[in-house]
Amino acid sequence: MGMGFSATGRFRRIRATSFLLDWPCLYPGWVITCAMVRTVPISEAPHTPVNSRVRVRGVQRASGTNRGDAGWAMTGAFRTLLIMSDHAVLLEGVTRTYGKGATEVAALRQVSVGFSRGSFTAVMGPSGSGKSTLLQCASGLDRPDSGAVRVAGRDITGLGEKDLAVLRRDQVGVVFQAFNLVPSLTAWQNVILPSRLARRRSDPARVRELLHRVGLAGREGHRPAQLSGGQQQRVAIARALLGRPEVLFADEPTGALDSRTGHEVLALLREAVDEFGQTVVMVTHDSEAAAQADSVLFLTDGRIVDVLDRPSADQIGMRLGGRR
Amino acid sequence: MGFAASFAAVIFAVTLVGGSGLVVVAASARDELNGVMGLLVLSAVVSGFVSVFVVAGTLSLHVLRQRRTWGLLRSVGMTPRQVSRLIMAEALVVAVLASVAGCLLAVPYAALMAAFMRMTGLAPAGVPVEATTGPFVLALVVGVAVTLLAARVATRKAVGVGPLEVLRDSAAQRRLLPWPRAVVGVAALAGGGELLFLVPQQVKASVVAPMALGATMALCVGASALGPVVLRGMGWLLGAVVAWLDPGAGMLARSSLVTQPRRAMAAASPVMLTVALACTFLFAVATTDVAAGVIRTGPSAWVAPMLVGSTVVYTVISVLNSTAMTMGERAEEIRLLRTVGTKPRQLTRMVCWEMLIVTCTGTLLGTGIAAASLTALGRATTGEPWFAYSLPQYAGLVLVCVVSGLAGGLVATRRARRGSLLLDG
Repeated sequence: MGMGFSATGRFRRIRATSFLLDWPCLYPGWVITCAMVRTVPISEAPHTPVNSRVRVRGVQRASGTNRGDAGWAMTGAFRTLLIMSDHAVLLEGVTRTYGKGATEVAALRQVSVGFSRGSFTAVMGPSGSGKSTLLQCASGLDRPDSGAVRVAGRDITGLGEKDLAVLRRDQVGVVFQAFNLVPSLTAWQNVILPSRLARRRSDPARVRELLHRVGLAGREGHRPAQLSGGQQQRVAIARALLGRPEVLFADEPTGALDSRTGHEVLALLREAVDEFGQTVVMVTHDSEAAAQADSVLFLTDGRIVDVLDRPSADQIGMRLGGRR
Repeated sequence: MGFAASFAAVIFAVTLVGGSGLVVVAASARDELNGVMGLLVLSAVVSGFVSVFVVAGTLSLHVLRQRRTWGLLRSVGMTPRQVSRLIMAEALVVAVLASVAGCLLAVPYAALMAAFMRMTGLAPAGVPVEATTGPFVLALVVGVAVTLLAARVATRKAVGVGPLEVLRDSAAQRRLLPWPRAVVGVAALAGGGELLFLVPQQVKASVVAPMALGATMALCVGASALGPVVLRGMGWLLGAVVAWLDPGAGMLARSSLVTQPRRAMAAASPVMLTVALACTFLFAVATTDVAAGVIRTGPSAWVAPMLVGSTVVYTVISVLNSTAMTMGERAEEIRLLRTVGTKPRQLTRMVCWEMLIVTCTGTLLGTGIAAASLTALGRATTGEPWFAYSLPQYAGLVLVCVVSGLAGGLVATRRARRGSLLLDG
């Protein structure tokens, strides 16, 4: 950690991890912060102390901090408003099963989790634990069998193909392990592709600045085949950031990279959170990578079994090792 | 999919060559058919040329499409020789099985042709089709030899590069026009041009039509070799219009054509071939008829369309085949486009724009070639740079090509466009 982003930027980014079951458990100032976040354009207020939190229902907490430090009696409507405004993405009782009959495998079982605005969450777990499925369901790439997925408060499980496409274009950014870019388009064209698809004009200065920030100044005209794996990954991140999506999902973004390039990509994701207030959810099996996140979810057999707040790589390693 | 396409291509080729051969042999035994022999031989030559062209194209597309597989096999320790033996063994199986099947189909096909000839009045007494060995041997040789040769050439291209270079998608760095291809293209164009120059100087009327057709064939070979350059230009130009009309989908179609004109040419080639050969054949017959004062009405007006019809059916199938193969390659890209938020309709439009530009380029090239040959033919027969043509026939031909191109592209991408977004979900 500590690469290219300020320590203060990370300070107390996670205020609390608390349960929806324990609701209401908010401190009054939070509502105000939330309102601020909603009215101030994120990019213009890079150092807004965005209060972020990950809530997990029905899970034993790993580290006990200030939970339930304020008691607010809320009406249902007010609570709904808060759910809508607080979480970039909220999963409620999501179940996803693959196959049928004897070969049926439950990838996710009744998972409920919310990802707050401006938080950086890592999702870990052994292979087959459902972490990629979680990401796919949350990003609208896959449909859960039951439960609800709310992006910016709107349930996306009932959306048709066209609306899902618009959702992925405007509200969700996804970065995969590999093959993120359209091979026939240049880096620049790849970055502006979503806005082009939406028939929106993208601001060239901002595109240039984003490409510069991800370290690709001067390579705007290169095609993916002419870029290294790390560079391709960074173009994909720039593309995701240009649209200022509600949430950026990354599925093993460093999985195909060497450790140095991987670090650069992680630093970029961290910066997006700290400076743009971007919400990031990253699936990874690398505890070093997960240590960059504000909190880490652990999945086993399709269930969230643990949450660690700002853990070190060693803590994560111990947590993973303890279960095996 | 590629395997089935190659199989179908070879079966049809052998059926066409064998069937036309049988009809020609049967007709040559009848004295009263001497007058139409020229026409029959000409249509047989056209179907032979098309067969060679399409089989070679499909096979090389099939082999090159699997570059990744070959690269993977080599990276786990297969030698280039072993890989090429593997490809050749597969090609041999396809060649032999499909050729035998094609020979079996050639007999009913020849009988059908004979029936048509009787109906249109070309051979009122009928053509006694008998299964003689000659046409079968020819068809088998064409089927097996062309298949193996095409596979051999494609294998050298597929195996010649290092395994890593293949696995890394090096498509963008490949040369647009390698030297051998450029040389073949220029030589064929020069040959075709020379023939065009010679056609008006012919005195014997019976040589003119075959020479004009020969010029068309040579120009087709040249144009399909140099085609990627033309296609890149057309993609750039028409793509700009399309991208202006439809920013998202149009830009995607344009960039794919500009960066991968060789892939697109595989689909444009059969369109060009269909338009060029069918137009030359149909309108050459019409022009000679007009020059000789012959007016065909009723069933006899269908003689030329019938003779070239099966060839057109074949090339149209190969248009379907090659568009399906080239667009099928793009499944991964289409899934990616969906994950970044391309709407289903936009994807459909992207495929349509691309196929439209490709088929239009093929049509333009084919029309140009046919027009050049026919003008030369007109000069030879009437002394004027003029030729007879039928707009409905031309429009029908173009429409069939464009529609089959669109259908091939849309069907091949249907799964990627509408199916599950997750590869292993």
